[in-house]
Amino acid sequence: MDRETLRKLAMLNQLSLNEEQKASVIAFFAKRDEELGVLNNIDTENVERMVHVCPIETVVREDVIDQKFQREDLQKGAVDTDEGYWCVPRVVE
Amino acid sequence: MELYLAKGEKKEKTVALDDLFLTKSLPTTAGSKMLDGYMSLFDAEVFTLLSNSGFALGGKAKVGEFAIDLLGETCYKGATEKDGKLVYAPCELVKDGEVLAALCLDANGAPRRGAAQSGLVYLKPTYGTVSRFGLVGVASSGDTVGICAETTDTVREILSVIAHHDDKDGTSLSEDACISINKEKKAAKVAVLKDFIAEAEADVQKSIYLTIEALKKSGVEVVEINSDEIAAARVAWNILMSAETCNNVSRFDGVKYGYRTQNFTNLDELYTNSRTEAFGDLIKTCILFGSETLSDKNYMKQYDKSLRIRRVISEKFALLFKSYDAVLLPATSKTSYSVEDVKENLTLCYEENKFTAPASITGLPALVAGGVQFIADAFEEGKLLCLAQIIEQEG
Repeated sequence: MDRETLRKLAMLNQLSLNEEQKASVIAFFAKRDEELGVLNNIDTENVERMVHVCPIETVVREDVIDQKFQREDLQKGAVDTDEGYWCVPRVVE
Repeated sequence: MELYLAKGEKKEKTVALDDLFLTKSLPTTAGSKMLDGYMSLFDAEVFTLLSNSGFALGGKAKVGEFAIDLLGETCYKGATEKDGKLVYAPCELVKDGEVLAALCLDANGAPRRGAAQSGLVYLKPTYGTVSRFGLVGVASSGDTVGICAETTDTVREILSVIAHHDDKDGTSLSEDACISINKEKKAAKVAVLKDFIAEAEADVQKSIYLTIEALKKSGVEVVEINSDEIAAARVAWNILMSAETCNNVSRFDGVKYGYRTQNFTNLDELYTNSRTEAFGDLIKTCILFGSETLSDKNYMKQYDKSLRIRRVISEKFALLFKSYDAVLLPATSKTSYSVEDVKENLTLCYEENKFTAPASITGLPALVAGGVQFIADAFEEGKLLCLAQIIEQEG
């Protein structure tokens, strides 16, 4: 992990890091890179991916409302709302 | 030493929930400044089931930020310490007799480490047998609700209340599968992962060998084996856990709920500064690592590879469970950790989870009793609780 890649990665994840954090994250990535050999030592060429640990069937439900939350209740956790809308800074000049 | 983030009521049958369970009556923060003061509109299914069975909510126990840390040290309200040692707040509430039991989200093994340190009984049931509806999602493919209590009987009682199918959770198994984990069973043969034990410090090893003696005295056959591919669980789990956590916390942006920065002039700054100011260093590192493992460059060699390793490890366990009722390994490498340990190494949880990752990555049930961890085959909680009962009786 180099500083430029880290800068892009942080931007992608909407995070900003100070110099100390950058150094710590780069050291963390170096440690994790060293460990990858543990995975590469195991042959997985003919092994299927295991996404779910248990056999899971897609749940299909009737398209009916069974939880009637009110808009004003849903917006109680927001810092800024206006007439039922969530407010963010102007995006169009 | 404050163990609660929010206090509830105390009755005869009182439980604590760690602060990743949504509750209407008390705020839910997931241990993060991002959710400071957040009030849910509904209760976690597990809490609804417990309430309907007469349990009261003693409060929301302190938990590390999104529960991925070592022992709750990344909680935005600070680490919980006792006599210079880190303690896991949900377990400490049980140990202090404040509550009958604590329910914890087992995302990266912290409750197992906490229970081992406190000498309590803790069960992480088979993935999919307890509803995750109403829990703050972290590492979704491994997140499991665990039960911590003083006695095996209490764990058994609570398990019978919460192990049910839930239509609201897409990963919930059938009702028959869920309730099957309550069956009482015998455990007669245990395999010990000797190379995992070798990685623990001397006092942990000592307690493991005492437990082994107690099991043998009760007629349990104990055999030492090599862990082989199971040792790769930590590296693979770190990749899967970080990738899933990165995705789950991407929803927190300071718009619809949660923390919003005061310092912004445009939308990008609102998102970035809200997340930067609210998230702690460990979760930021986890987000960045998870995001990188999912990148075009690393997806196949890290994320995809880890999914295949998950199958290899699951098949290894399946083979072991043809000959053994359970596998024994440590839950931690040390009997206690200090704040200094995590100050020196913020990401210690990425290393210490070597003992908890095997059960996390496979979704298998895991038990901690007498400071030692056991893993059994899926739906074989009865065997694990049989072992807990033996350890309890042998003292």
